[in-house]
Amino acid sequence: MSITPTDTEDAPLEETDAQYQSSAPGERIAVGTLHGWRKAAHYATMPVLLLMVVGALALWVGGQELDSIEQRELVLSVILTQMRRHVALALWSTFFVLILAVPLGIFATRPKTRKFAPTIIGLGNAGQAIPSLGLLALIFFLFRTIPALPSTGRVPVIAALTAYSFLPILRNTMVGLDAVNRDVLEAGRGMGMSNRQVLWRLELPLAVPVILAGVRTALVLNVGTATLAYLFGGGGLGDVIFSGFQLRRTPVLLTGAILTAVLALAIDYIAGLIEEWLTPRGLD
Amino acid sequence: MSDYKIQLKELTKIYPGQREPAVKSVNMDIPAGEVVVLVGPSGCGKTTTMKMINRLIEPTSGEIYLSGENVTKADPDDLRRRIGYVIQQIGLFPHQTIYDNIATVPKLLGWDKNRINARVEELLDTVGLDPAQYKDRYPKEMSGGQRQRVGVARAMAADPEVMLMDEPFGATDPITRERLQNEFLRLQEDIKKTIIFVTHDIDEAIKMGDRIAILREQSVIAQFDTPETILTAPADEFVEDFIGSGASLKRLNLSRVRDVDYHSDVPTGTYDESRDALYNRLHASPWTAMLMLDNEGRPLRWLRATDFKRPNADLQQVGLPNTAQVEPHATLSDALNEMIVGNAGCAVVVGGRNQYQGLVDIDTIMLAIRTMRDANEDYYRAAKHPPEEVVA
Repeated sequence: MSITPTDTEDAPLEETDAQYQSSAPGERIAVGTLHGWRKAAHYATMPVLLLMVVGALALWVGGQELDSIEQRELVLSVILTQMRRHVALALWSTFFVLILAVPLGIFATRPKTRKFAPTIIGLGNAGQAIPSLGLLALIFFLFRTIPALPSTGRVPVIAALTAYSFLPILRNTMVGLDAVNRDVLEAGRGMGMSNRQVLWRLELPLAVPVILAGVRTALVLNVGTATLAYLFGGGGLGDVIFSGFQLRRTPVLLTGAILTAVLALAIDYIAGLIEEWLTPRGLD
Repeated sequence: MSDYKIQLKELTKIYPGQREPAVKSVNMDIPAGEVVVLVGPSGCGKTTTMKMINRLIEPTSGEIYLSGENVTKADPDDLRRRIGYVIQQIGLFPHQTIYDNIATVPKLLGWDKNRINARVEELLDTVGLDPAQYKDRYPKEMSGGQRQRVGVARAMAADPEVMLMDEPFGATDPITRERLQNEFLRLQEDIKKTIIFVTHDIDEAIKMGDRIAILREQSVIAQFDTPETILTAPADEFVEDFIGSGASLKRLNLSRVRDVDYHSDVPTGTYDESRDALYNRLHASPWTAMLMLDNEGRPLRWLRATDFKRPNADLQQVGLPNTAQVEPHATLSDALNEMIVGNAGCAVVVGGRNQYQGLVDIDTIMLAIRTMRDANEDYYRAAKHPPEEVVA
């Protein structure tokens, strides 16, 4: 007893199509539609570019006459260690901000606890308004007063980076969850999904593009801010930059700066891959 | 009491901070296998009432019974898995395939994979979508009408006994809507589910409903009855206004030619009979014209007495050709249309091979309407003084 309609008379509905597009702003490349050389270009462009920059830097440094100070600063193993530390700072702070800001964002968008949302945003705003160096210094003093917490090294730096990137990720989480189409959620609830099932199976997957966009931005910002770790003995490429600056050795300064930029772009690229991987298929 | 699939007792909803309830003491008994349409002006609370049945909105007071079981305080998630739910904007999950969308409730209920696969294929077939082609598509790749069909399939997936539909065909163009309505009616003939259907369109209510509840403000029931009764015996002025003008014309949509007494004594003849025989037959009958048929009994022309009196007239040329005919399963509305458009002010009732069976004219129609009104006269009188509760 089946009925066969023809597709031709069913025109797409403009007003309901919007609910099926992704709500993430900015460029959204429909990755699923890339093929052949376009796909290769999409994936290969950044790594190739970065390798070229690093290669050019290496060649230039290699071609310079380095004095003893520069030679000491530009030892490859040291550079690599600082890069590793730098990445660790960025990743640890991102990890902590995810486990703190995302649950808080979920909490602030639940119907029953929605009234706390303005307070939470207010706190985040305050944290964001303080310039990164100031925030770092505040954390330093805070940790100083609490004997159990170290006031130098990685820990205060990670704490400060977490605080610094807290608001963007919190805000993106809230915006992403709020932007999920209400009809989809009503349909889910009406079909008998519990509140938790609606959250995990509908809200979060649909908010992921927006949340990840925030995480990616925060991660890249943190790579830049982590250069200040130098001031607190936290290591990282900041050491290279600042020693180059203070010793007035251009090759050292440039190496630190360029490598920081390369690192930021590389992390952005990898975060982009993860974002593509985690975005549900029906949304791109 | 347990013959009824759904029973609402004194169902009330008062929103905090408001003096008047949004829904005031609704009492309704809904028999199994029927489509009950809740229809009323915007803001009357019809959607709120429907949403209280699956507890998406919690009632402030009152009780809900499903197959005799009091579900007012039952676990809402469990309850909703037993009730199909279709909304106007459909709400397909954009990040999941059509297969996953339809499989949602079966998965929630823990069905095994094979059973789910079979069920999804069956449902896609039922709603007219080729499973092989559409199973793995995403909602954004489908047209509006297709998404609507998937929405209905998704609601039927776990074979619920009851379905709630909130303006399910509202977001489509009139042509698609009519198709979907017709397909849905055909489907309902097979599956016979108990369906609560909310709409603001009285014509849709008349078409889709076995029973209609016309609601006023606060969902107070103005009349709860079959479409035929509502059209021929509206309970009060509110109902009359809501039906709008043309209630009788709308009523004609609900009766078929075969259900009414159409004329079957029209004089007929064939061209191999003698002119005199034909004329005498016409003269002897109370009719003013006779219908000429061919050898298969199919109507050809109308001949009047004056046509016979012209001495050299060719009977195959004079008179009027017959242009209006209807089949017995056509509605009286179709018959009226044929009559108006045709050239004789009447329509010949023809069978499957177009052979003459009878005649409908304006008298037939008026007699039919009068009969409907008379049949409802007692109810009409009682409806002028309605009792407190209206139970179907």
